[in-house]
Amino acid sequence: MNVRINPDKCIACTTCVANCPVSKATPKYLGPRMIGPAYERFRLLAIPEDESLTYCSNCKNCDITCPQGVSVSGINMLARARHSKRNGSSLRDWVLAHGELQAKLLQLIPAGLKNFGMLNPLTRLVLDKLGIDRRAPLPPFAPKTFRQMMRHVQQPELDKKVVFYPGCYVDVYDPQTGLDMVWAFNRAGYQVISPDNFECCGLPMIANGFWEDAKKRARNNLTELARWQKENIPAVTGCPSCALVFRQELPEYFPELVDTIGSGILEDAQDFLLACAEKGELSLEEAPDQKDLAIIYHAPCHLRAQGNGLPGFRLLQELKGVKITAADAGCCGISGSYGFKKEKYDIAQDIGADLFEAVKKSRADLAASECGTCRVQITHGTGKKTLHPVTIFRSRIEGTKLPD
Amino acid sequence: MSRTTDIIVAGEGLAGLMAAYKAATGNCRVRVISQGMGSLAISPGCIDVLGYDLTGKRLENPFGGMEMLGPDHPYSILGKENIEAALGDLIECARMEGLVLKGATDENGVGRNILMPTIMGTLKPTYLVDAANEIHELEQAQKILVISVKGFRDCRPRLIISQLRRYPALAEKEFSSLVLPSPFTEKGRSLNALDLAHAADRAKGRDWMLNALRNKGKNFDLALMPPMLGALANSGIRKIAAETLGCPYLELISVPPGVTGLRIRNALINRLHSMNVEFYENAQITHAEIANGECRSLTVSSSGREMIHKPRAVIVATGGIINGGVILGQGHAREAIFGLNIPVPENVDKWTEPEIFGKHLATRLGVRVNSNLQALDADGSIVLKNVFFAGRTLGGYDYASEKSGHGVACATGWMAGKLAAAAIKTADQPAQAASGADQ
Repeated sequence: MNVRINPDKCIACTTCVANCPVSKATPKYLGPRMIGPAYERFRLLAIPEDESLTYCSNCKNCDITCPQGVSVSGINMLARARHSKRNGSSLRDWVLAHGELQAKLLQLIPAGLKNFGMLNPLTRLVLDKLGIDRRAPLPPFAPKTFRQMMRHVQQPELDKKVVFYPGCYVDVYDPQTGLDMVWAFNRAGYQVISPDNFECCGLPMIANGFWEDAKKRARNNLTELARWQKENIPAVTGCPSCALVFRQELPEYFPELVDTIGSGILEDAQDFLLACAEKGELSLEEAPDQKDLAIIYHAPCHLRAQGNGLPGFRLLQELKGVKITAADAGCCGISGSYGFKKEKYDIAQDIGADLFEAVKKSRADLAASECGTCRVQITHGTGKKTLHPVTIFRSRIEGTKLPD
Repeated sequence: MSRTTDIIVAGEGLAGLMAAYKAATGNCRVRVISQGMGSLAISPGCIDVLGYDLTGKRLENPFGGMEMLGPDHPYSILGKENIEAALGDLIECARMEGLVLKGATDENGVGRNILMPTIMGTLKPTYLVDAANEIHELEQAQKILVISVKGFRDCRPRLIISQLRRYPALAEKEFSSLVLPSPFTEKGRSLNALDLAHAADRAKGRDWMLNALRNKGKNFDLALMPPMLGALANSGIRKIAAETLGCPYLELISVPPGVTGLRIRNALINRLHSMNVEFYENAQITHAEIANGECRSLTVSSSGREMIHKPRAVIVATGGIINGGVILGQGHAREAIFGLNIPVPENVDKWTEPEIFGKHLATRLGVRVNSNLQALDADGSIVLKNVFFAGRTLGGYDYASEKSGHGVACATGWMAGKLAAAAIKTADQPAQAASGADQ
């Protein structure tokens, strides 16, 4: 915890205030400028923390819009970590930060039983008492994790290899998206390696103040990535938040790890596929005799924060039978586990309201977004089926039915 | 290939967005790359064209003082016709998204500056204003109601009234003040105009606001209120507020976040999305590859990774000193992307004047360009053939003392977009190259 982000680049221009989804939804949050760079000066004087710090959702719209390049959300996350270290954390936050661990412990229990155990009204009441809102759209466990399923996937022997980092959401809740990803890379001529050594990227731990736990994962993940990097095998992920952690947060928060192990390069899988398409490695020819598909697309904030445009959107845009429109309605509100929390649930729904309205108004056949929890939130707020762009891509090329 | 495009616009303030709009209407593939959002988002949405002439005299006509401007002033470079065409396109663009921007006219139908009151009780000349109904002016009203909301610390009716009364033309007006109760029941931070505007964009907040305003202006000629009537281009509340209130209203020019600039931004962004313009946010251009006097590629730092983008033409609208388009050092200044030298006195003391509202060199230093908005070196030769400069990156004008900021941004952005699109068309049609360059 010796990292500090200099608050003095902030000129108090209020651009972040004008774009903070949480400030817009609740007056309880002091706002990014005040709780970030401004309050940081008080923290340097050891003045006690302002409790509204917990309202920052780490969505990063402040960082995206800041003309001075201040890592406002970084200041907030570091402050939260120091605060948790001094004052301890709630059991609820521990539970939400360590979904990976719970999934591992529950691995041997069949999904049906697990889901009954976790999602039945009685458990939800207990969780609600713990601080996880009863109305929150907790995703059900998949029957098998992506990594379990991956062991049985028959891939063609291909010369080119790519390492795939599934991220917890795909691994535990949504393995189908992972399999679609493997299909797409195979089709582009890449055999997919998905090493078992990868752990959670650490973002839920960072956002909930479990700094040391995040650091442990970072060390392990960077070591694993370095191994593949040495072999010149590119590594990709389809999850914008995982990608952002590797690209931006680990170097910012754990410079000592990055300095010794190396900054693990994790490419955006959609961007990688787009490049394959443009090199002619990946055909964009759709299966014949399909009805045209209208899609409303939500750009996850953590994708926008990467400065790499919207490659998943563009990939679908390249397909002739797909009519894709950007919702451009701001944050969905969920921010990982933020919108699951009892005191944040209504705020998260309020933040997402503009997006929900745009999705409903669009009359699109379905919605698309790269981020797993954004998809959960959009479906929760609109009832609209929401899929990963690569899943839709596969269905168009193969001419197969879209998964439920 | 994924990173090739026709035109890259660096910056997404008013100049960048206008450039992207004009280039996209010219059938070019346009990509906007930005680090941060640009000051349009926090500014008041009035378009100042020219408020004061070089002697400091307030101008009745926004185009009236232009002959007096020096040859390096962006307005002199563009000419009145282009400036008017650019403003016309901005008005049209806004109109298509439900935002009404209007300029006042005199009895002969000629554009006229109006004096807009600010939240500090000062008056400022400006040209285009957000006018859902008619344009109303303070001077023409006698009984004026100043409205604020409880908990809104930056908007104090009594301060506004006492300040406005210092203007001789307003000294005899009958002012009253009204503080509405706060719509927020939760305890929290102090309110600003944007909080109220956001609330007004939702049904519940809109109902609250209309109820709070209902008939309050019945006995007045005009009401002044903070810019709280929605943050969207098409916020419906602005159309009905006057009728509900019982008198016309003016939204005060506010401190950042100014709200009304967000409305213009919202309109332009919606237009650009419908024209398929791509946005790369949170990306910093760190290096430019130059060959034969042309920019061939831009290196962009995107959350720690370097990406190469290959445009055929580039529009630089990265802003001035504050937004990082112009970088200052001890005794030297340069443009940020291409490192173009901006001549300045070595003695830094000479960059500013002792008088704070004086004419500082710092507010007008920037890139020197020709009539095609291409940068010129010390000898007057073109440095980069396919790079066009717009907005506050340009030198030769003093937005602060002239009150010309958004006007120059709009006009030069528009022009840069037009020139860049024309340059690409020319390159595609070599036979017509001779006639196309100046279009």
